[in-house]
Formats: sequence, structure tokens, C-alpha cells
Amino acid sequence: MKLTTRNAEIFVAVILALCSIGLMIKAAQNSITWTIEDNMGAGFMPFWLSLGMLICTIITIFKWVIRKSPQSNNNEPFIDPEANKYVYVTILSLIGLILGTAYVGIYISLIFFLFFYLKNFSEKSNLFISVFSIATPIVTFCFFEWLLKITLPQGISEPLFYPIYELMY
Amino acid sequence: METFYLLMNGIGTALVPFNLALLIFGCLIGLFVGAMPGLGSVNGVAILIPITFIVPPTAAIIFLAAVYYGAMYGGAISSIMLGIPGASTAVATVFDGRPLAQKGEAITGLTAAAVGSFVGGTVSVILFTLFAPPLAKVALAFNAPETFALMVMAFATFVGLGGDDIPKTCFSILIGLVLSTIGLDLISGKPRLIFFDIPGFLHGVNFLVLAIGIYGIGEMLWTLETTKGAVKISSISFTFKDVVLSVKKLKGTMMAMTIGSFLGFFVGILPAAGATPAALMAYGITKQLSKNSAEFGKGAVAGVVAPECANNSASTGSMLPMLTLGIPGSPTTAILLGGMILWGLTPGPLLFTQEPEFVWGLIGSLYIANFFALILNVALIPAFIMVLRVPFAILAPVIFVLCVTGGYAPTQSIHDVWLMLLFGVAGYILRKLDYPVAPAVLSIVLGPLAEKAMRQSLIISDGSFNIFLDFTIKPIAATIMYIALIFLFLPLINILKNQLFPKKA
Amino acid sequence: MNLLKKVAILFVSFSFVAVSTTSAKEFAPKKPIELIIMAGQGGGADEIARLVQGVAEKNDFTSKPLIPINKPGGSGGEALQYVKAKSGDQHTILITLNSFFTTPQNQKELDINILEDYTPLARLLTDTFMVWIKKDGAKTSGINTLDEFLARAKQGDLVMGGTGKMSEDELLLGMMRSMFGFDAKYVPYSGGGAVAKGLIGDESDFTLNNPSEQMGFYQSGDSKALVMMTPKRNPAFPEVPSSHELGYPDLEYYMMRAFVAPADIGAEATKYYTGVLHDVYMNAEFQKFNIDDGKLLSWIEGYGLSDFFAVEYDKHTEIVAAFN
Repeated sequence: MKLTTRNAEIFVAVILALCSIGLMIKAAQNSITWTIEDNMGAGFMPFWLSLGMLICTIITIFKWVIRKSPQSNNNEPFIDPEANKYVYVTILSLIGLILGTAYVGIYISLIFFLFFYLKNFSEKSNLFISVFSIATPIVTFCFFEWLLKITLPQGISEPLFYPIYELMY
Repeated sequence: METFYLLMNGIGTALVPFNLALLIFGCLIGLFVGAMPGLGSVNGVAILIPITFIVPPTAAIIFLAAVYYGAMYGGAISSIMLGIPGASTAVATVFDGRPLAQKGEAITGLTAAAVGSFVGGTVSVILFTLFAPPLAKVALAFNAPETFALMVMAFATFVGLGGDDIPKTCFSILIGLVLSTIGLDLISGKPRLIFFDIPGFLHGVNFLVLAIGIYGIGEMLWTLETTKGAVKISSISFTFKDVVLSVKKLKGTMMAMTIGSFLGFFVGILPAAGATPAALMAYGITKQLSKNSAEFGKGAVAGVVAPECANNSASTGSMLPMLTLGIPGSPTTAILLGGMILWGLTPGPLLFTQEPEFVWGLIGSLYIANFFALILNVALIPAFIMVLRVPFAILAPVIFVLCVTGGYAPTQSIHDVWLMLLFGVAGYILRKLDYPVAPAVLSIVLGPLAEKAMRQSLIISDGSFNIFLDFTIKPIAATIMYIALIFLFLPLINILKNQLFPKKA
Repeated sequence: MNLLKKVAILFVSFSFVAVSTTSAKEFAPKKPIELIIMAGQGGGADEIARLVQGVAEKNDFTSKPLIPINKPGGSGGEALQYVKAKSGDQHTILITLNSFFTTPQNQKELDINILEDYTPLARLLTDTFMVWIKKDGAKTSGINTLDEFLARAKQGDLVMGGTGKMSEDELLLGMMRSMFGFDAKYVPYSGGGAVAKGLIGDESDFTLNNPSEQMGFYQSGDSKALVMMTPKRNPAFPEVPSSHELGYPDLEYYMMRAFVAPADIGAEATKYYTGVLHDVYMNAEFQKFNIDDGKLLSWIEGYGLSDFFAVEYDKHTEIVAAFN
């Protein structure tokens, strides 16, 4: 089965319908009723709103079945095959960046992320890419830690920054 | 006349060379902090509280006003240039600011935002000077039922914002509302929708996380796909003539400015609301009342002016409940409030009479800060335009870095960064399938305010909806509610008419 | 890549020097200290946290800055879990209030044991609660004493504004309910400031605010305090009677402002932070601010604080049980 827009439409609609059901189940862990004595239960709003989401997705699925919406008649590939690479690589490298931020620390991960990304997608020289990849985390550090006093996650690379803090304060 | 004298005194103090230097420095910091996605005046003001122990209190107030205003101006910059709201208050600026920049009219967008901010700031500070004490009474009369009516009105003004596909638009509104219920329920004290017992959900879904995800990551993925990484670099030249020309384009936006300034101020002084709903409402109402409402969302200048006017106006307005009632209207004023208490000032109805120098010094600084923020902003337009000349392959990773830091900074939790990525990817896919995303962003801002106000009102009324509709119980709430219903039904009838009887092409 | 490697080596060698020069015995922070606030911006705990930060900064009490971070999620549940997970981390401290006792009981799934999961540092202050009414409130005009108020409240139609379900003031309402036999509708607001405004805006008929939350309205004469829930009168409110002198000694309740650190941070770090807090506590500016604000200076540290936590936790278990 090819990932055409038509297929993506039904695929996404079914996933959203399942999510809506999941939300309803989760919301129903709290009271979903509304009585005058007890006021509105904590689950009331999320439950009935999720039911609304479910109804919306069912209509979308129905429109797909009777081919009433533009997406249900569109057999073009969902993601432009020539642009596939950009989308997937970007998403994966972002996942890598956030994983790295959580465990290795943001400043170190940024160096690798920028180096990888620029190496792949730009035609700049290696020297430019290296300088840029190292300069950006430094600027980020100065801006957040020094000016705004917001500490960004440093993970296991934290001890590397102790001498810098020693100099800063 | 005493007011006038005190105000002039305040302005005079702000113009002393040392204070003026602080003011310009503060405006610059504010501009940059405001322009960074995820960071807003709240961060700028927070770094400043410790500084206030070093410089004298007057200088501290001036610096503070400068950062505050600078950040309000700065929020628009990344909304227009990058399409990512620089601060939550600037989300409505994205709707038309981004398309303007894409059309190659970034200068017009930036000028419109700067001038709009200036007008909004000036109108509100004048209103503040003249009517602060009576307006404090209005803020007091605005309780839960009135707040709920106002939220319904905010929703109503946005009915026309969705796409053509009604079920998908409804889905977007509903998912925004459901996401906004995540976290601890204030009314029942119970945690809701804590998926997989992950503690990060206890603080709910921060609106900025959704906005940065959708408009930052989602938008970038979309751009990468449609251009295959080869975005044409727009060769915008910048001359002073362009600014003059773009000022001329603002002629037709008088209505947007009026709505933005007055509505913004009014919503700002209400303790519960703040600048974000104010900007959204100003955008929605301007669009509904505009003759060219079809242009909104495609780069209408009025669509930039209205929210920028409103958010600056509301930010000044939100100082009022802080000063006179001691209730912060926004996180930023909450920090300011903390600062005031540390200076030994007790916010309350007596503050205006007991500490006139402080109050009028602050207001005087706002006048001056507003003026300098405009000058600096216009002067820096060439620098901002340079961003558009950066090759896309370099700009893209930098934007991703801004998104990651911006997603992290507001709550300082990595959980939110993951959520942001999830929203970004989901937003990208949904957008490709014609699900409108703006309604979800709107709902997540207004949803919590609306739900809380509604449930508070219903506790008071023992479950009766008459509290919103009966003129004899709550006249203000009922009036707003009926206006909201009119706003709600007019476009709905139009939409239904178009769906049922499509015009023959 | 060569350059990268060099920088990395430089960094590592640098840090080795720095680590080895700090003596092993005396603890000194190596990086900015996170000051976690288990409540939102603008609340009472936030105010004290930022005051402590400001005083410490101004007088150079800490060699690295204190960075306040608000984690109000889940009535502080998120902050409690965050700090619990940081066991052994010497650069995090948490400012607690009474939700330190109630949140773990109301949300059992958090799995928090306050006596084992945290290192107690010091309690600096206690705040109390007062019964507030509006000067000419729609249903309470003409009431000047607690007894008049109680007589009126027994009609059962009063609305009380509070800071959230199962928060201190609702528990306190529960205490008063069983003590005096009246009931009231409870409307939750977000934060003490909003509660105070609801009273003056005629939305609620009475509140149980902290002194500082009503200070502005009290000074302007818009609100009246009927009783302070302490044994003695407070110098900041000389004309407000204490519950003991009115003959209700059981009507006594305090809000603590105490600091804790994650578990297992070691004796040296505990001593360091307790010392810093003591410096702040002894600061004249800090003391004057809190006395003017109607708070009670009440330092306890170490074992005294652990005992206090244990006693208060049990007390709150009873109150919560009685409430349910």
C-alpha cells in the first residue's frame, strides 16, 4: 500500500479516532457526571469534549468512504518523494538532539546536531561548519546562563561547566 | 493637576542621563529576550529583580518598564520573520505577519508591528493616567460569570478562523480544549489525563509548547518539504524609503488600531485575562468587522496591527489590577508584584495615594520606554531583515535550536521539549490533511480560563445557567454573552449557507 | 574534528584542576543552585523564595546564584517528585508550604514519603490565617465579631473563596465546620490574590486569607479581619483578636515556610545550606519585611525540623481524614 494522500487521510483519521477513545477512557477515571450537589466532575469536560473529537473523526471517515473530501480523492504521494529525505532526517536528528540534551547535555549535543545538519544540507566548507557548530552553543550558553540565569540541561557533561561557573561568579 | 505634575516628574526622572542609559539598555535586552521563541518579558523581568537591590528603586523601575516594553515589541519580530510566536502574546501576530514576510513585505510587517505597538502602548498609558482609579472598580466588578462571557465572546470572534472542512475545524477546537484540561483540576483538586503517570503532565500542556511545536517545527518541516531544502533567499533591500512607504500602508488600519488599543486595554485590566486573549480577540473582532476580511490570514496589514496594538495595550492595562488590587494579570506582573513587595510597597487601593512617586514614576517610565522602544525597533529593522538573507540551510537548524531552548525555558522541563516535537510532527501531518491548526492554539489559551470561570460561576449559582443570561442577576455578564452570541451566529449562518447551497462557480 | 577534540581536552583538564582545588571537607556550590518553588508565580511561597534570593544575592551569602524555578503542577506534586528524583544532588533546594503535608496524602500515586525523601534544612517563617469579610458585604454588613459572623454563617448560604480544592483553607473550613457547625459553599480560585479580589468584588462572602494577601485591602478599609488563628495578637494587626482570647483555642493553624533539599546530600552540604538560610534569616531587611507583613519569625533546623514535619504530617492526616 502506497502512502498516498488518500491513504494518509484514513490512516490519520483512524489514529485520531483511537486517540479520542483513549482520551475518553483516561478521562473516565474521574467522575464524568454533572449533578447539582457534586458540581461538575473532574472528568466531565475532557470526556465529553473527547467524545466530540470522536464524532468529528467519524464524520471525516464517513466523508472519506463516500469520497466527499478533497483529500479522499487525492492519490498523489502524501510526502513529496524528493523531499522525503529532508523531512525524515530532520525529525530523526531532532529526536537525537533532544535525547542528547536529556542525557549528554544540550551544549555538547548542539555541536553534533549542527555539525551533522549543516554537513548534510548545506554546501558550506568544513571550517565554516565547525566554527558555526561550536560558536552557536557558546552564544547560547552566554545568553541563557549568563544573561538570563536559566540553566539548560547539562546531563553528564555538567562537570565540564564548573570551571566556567567559577569564572562567571 | 497634581497627577500631571507627578507624571511630569516621573518622565523627568526617566530622562536623567544615567536612567536614560539604563532605559535604552533595558529596551535592547527586552527586544532580544522578547524575540526569542519561548522567552518573554517574564524572563527579562525575572533577571532584573536581583539587580534592583544594586541600583536605586527609581532606576530599577525605569529599567523594568524598559525591559517590559522592549519584550512586548520584540515578540512580534520572530512572529513575523520566523513565523514562530516570540512570546505567547504575539501568537495572533503570526496569522498575518508570517504571510506578509513570505510575500516579501517583511518591512511592512515589522513597521506595522512597531507602529501598532506604539499606538497601543500610548493609548493605554494615557487611559491609565486619566482613569486608573475608576477603572480599578470595573476590574473589581468583573468576576467569574463576566470572565466566562468574555471567553465565549473570544471564541465567537474566531468562528471564521477555521478552514473549510467543518468536522476538521471542530476537531481542532476540541483537541485544543481537551489538551487544556490536562493537569490538576483546580475545582475538584484531582489530577486529570496524566498519561502513563508521567509527572510532567501535572503542570498541564503549556500553550507555548503547542505554539512553538506547530508554528516552529511543524512549519519548518512543511517548508523543507515544499522547497526541498532550497528556499529562495529573498533579496530584500532596505532603504529608509521603504519604511516611509510602509507607514503609508498603515493608513487603512485606523479601525484595527482603535479596536486593538481599547479592547486590549479593557481586557488587560481584567485580572484573569492578560495580553494573550486580548491580542486574539482584537484580531478576531477586527477581522469580523473589516471590509476585507477575506484578506486576513493571507497577509493583511490590519491583521498585524490589531494584535500588536492590543498586546501592548493589555500589558499596560494589566499593571492596573497589579497596582490597585495586588493581583497579577500575567506571569510578568506576578514577578513585578514580588519585586514591589520586596521594595516594601503594599499593592492595594491605597498605593496611588501612599506611594505616588512610585506609581507615577512607573507610568512616566512607560511613556518614555514606549517611545524608545519604537525608535530602537525601527532602527533595528535592517538587522532583522538580515535574518531573511541567511541561507535557509543555516537558518533551519538555528530555528530548531531556538525551538528546543524555547520549549525548555518556560517550565524548565525536558518533558515539554518532547511534547513540542510531538506537536510539531503531528501539526505538520494534520496541516497537510487540511486540519486547521490555529483553532487548537486558540482553544488551549482560552480553554482553561473559560472552564474555570464557568465552573466557579456554576458553583455560585447552584448549577443554574441563568447566571450568564439573566440581566437581573449579572447585567454585565448577560450583555457580553448576548453580544457573543450574535458574533457566534452571524458567521455560522454564512458558513452553513455556503455548505448547503454552494455557489455555482 | 581536530579542533573539537582539543577543546574537549582543554575542558576536561580545566575541570579536573577546579575540582581538585576545592577542599574535600568544606562544601561550596559548583554551579548555580536551583531554588524550586512548589507553587506558582506571585503566591506566598514565591514571594518568600524571591525575597530569600534577593537578600542572598545582595549580601553575597552564596558563591553561586540561586535560581528560582516555579513548579506549581499538581499542587506541588510535580516539584516534590522532581526533588525526590534528584536524590544526592547538592545544587537543588525546595521551598515548601503546607501542601508539603497535604499533597502526598491527596495524591497517593505520587509515592512520596516526606520524612525519607528529603533532607530538612530549616523553617524560617510561619504564616497564619485570618477570617476576612468585606466591609459592607452584601450578606455580612454590620458584622464585627467572630460570634456575629458564626451566627450569620449558620444560615448556610455564605460563599467562601479559597485557593483550591483540598488546599489549606478548605481543610481549615472543614475544621471550622465541625467546630462551629456551619456550612458554606467553597469556590476555588487560582491564588491568594484572586481570592482576596473575589471578596472585595462581592463574589464571595468570606475568605481565610493569609495576612499579607489582604494587606492592601485591609489598609484601605475595604476588608475586615474577625480573628487571627494564633494564641496571641500580631503586631501588624493590633486590633484583630486572637482565637485564644475569643475562647476558641482549637482554632489555631499555621502555614510554614521551610526549605528542604533532596535526600543524601551529605552533612557538609546540609550544613552549608542551613548556614546560608540562617544568614538570610538574621538579615535585618528580611526580618523587618516579614514582621511588617504579619508573619512570624520561627527558625528551626535539623532534628527539630524533622520532628516538626512528623508532627504536622500526622496532624494533617487527621484533618484530611476528618474532612473526607
